[in-house]
Amino acid sequence: MKVRFTVNGRAATVEADAEMRLLDALRDELHLTGTKEGCGEGECGACTVLLDGRPVNSCLVLAAQAEGRDVLTIEGLAAGPQLHPIQQAFVDAGAAQCGFCTPGFVMSTYALLRDHPAPSDEEILTALEGNLCRCTGYVKIVDAVRRAAERLAEARAQETA
Amino acid sequence: MLRYVRVDTEADLLDALRKDGARLLSGGTDLIVKMRSGLVQPKSLVDPAAVPELRGIETAGGDLRIGAATPLAEILASREVGERAPLLADVLRVLGCVQIRNRGTLGGNLANASPAADSAIPLLLYEATLEVVGEGGTRSVPVDGFFLGPGRTVLERGEYIRAVHIPASRQDWITFFHKVGRRRALTIAIASVGGLAAFSRGSVAEVRLAAGSVAPIPLRLRSAEERLAGRALDEEAVQRAGALAAEEVSPIDDVRATARYRREVTRDLVARFLAQAAGA
Repeated sequence: MKVRFTVNGRAATVEADAEMRLLDALRDELHLTGTKEGCGEGECGACTVLLDGRPVNSCLVLAAQAEGRDVLTIEGLAAGPQLHPIQQAFVDAGAAQCGFCTPGFVMSTYALLRDHPAPSDEEILTALEGNLCRCTGYVKIVDAVRRAAERLAEARAQETA
Repeated sequence: MLRYVRVDTEADLLDALRKDGARLLSGGTDLIVKMRSGLVQPKSLVDPAAVPELRGIETAGGDLRIGAATPLAEILASREVGERAPLLADVLRVLGCVQIRNRGTLGGNLANASPAADSAIPLLLYEATLEVVGEGGTRSVPVDGFFLGPGRTVLERGEYIRAVHIPASRQDWITFFHKVGRRRALTIAIASVGGLAAFSRGSVAEVRLAAGSVAPIPLRLRSAEERLAGRALDEEAVQRAGALAAEEVSPIDDVRATARYRREVTRDLVARFLAQAAGA
């Protein structure tokens, strides 16, 4: 079957069988390999993308279920060579070691800061509860989220100034 | 060859579910995992996401009606749920994680019939009923009585859950839910206990207890409840109820914990709730 949806603002069409997951459609058909497959069963969050603006595990969504919907992946954040402020904050905070979990963390952070521009530590931990990191630990990741929130706030202040 | 069928109406849903090997696919957070590990091998997946009767939260009279395919995150964000069924909101807050709650549904959590289904605990306690639809029409099934065993429910072939009804109940409940697991998020409970209690002049006016992951199905702890009715919650009553609860469950040894540990946790959580309620 043909599945049509929007990815990072562009129309996409994928020829999918019923078993194809959104994760497979993104990586294998659309070659958007920034989204990673970790556990493949919804435990680790490495494959997190936003579906109609909400973080989901793309390994637990069938490609067919994305019909007509809006998908945002890690590739949709940067503006050309310019990293998104959340990505830059992860770099600056040293919040990555092997980096495999990072796209998922960045997508969860993106949804968090859109809804809660100045999150409490509790809100940060809840927003990231579905993302696992097995090497660097969470201190620098939480630090990166705080930095990103500050920078986004500064950028908004400059825009309105 | 697996087929994916998206339906827009309940008539089409019934029709599609009647076919041999058809499975209802909602959030997919359990079913897709089971399919990929080969535990289930459906011939078709029927997706009711676009059927309006299965979506949304309404209040009718004192009742709360939650469409079976409403995402858990939407239920958690609902003001009506927070006011009328606060324990359900408390439980959903610790069910899965953000990503799972954005996809998973109440109908799915129930129909999957895990002994560890978190949402079953508040629904048992609030004495919720399920609107079950099949070829023969609609029937009302109490959540207490819906589960038959791990992965097994009273749903017959071709039937589906349309909605969950939570009847109005007292506003003075003291609520409790605690699950023991190995990780804060995404934990499959080793044991969980939920409770509702109300007092009148220092004695228990009404108490309801339920436990998960300690029997083939999530269950009410009736003998402990009966023992407590009308009594003052002194130390002896608290300990006795905990002991009765531990006798009432039938846990197993598995990869997550031993049966003996689960019994102890059940006893201690029941006692913890009652001690907190007595002090509240």
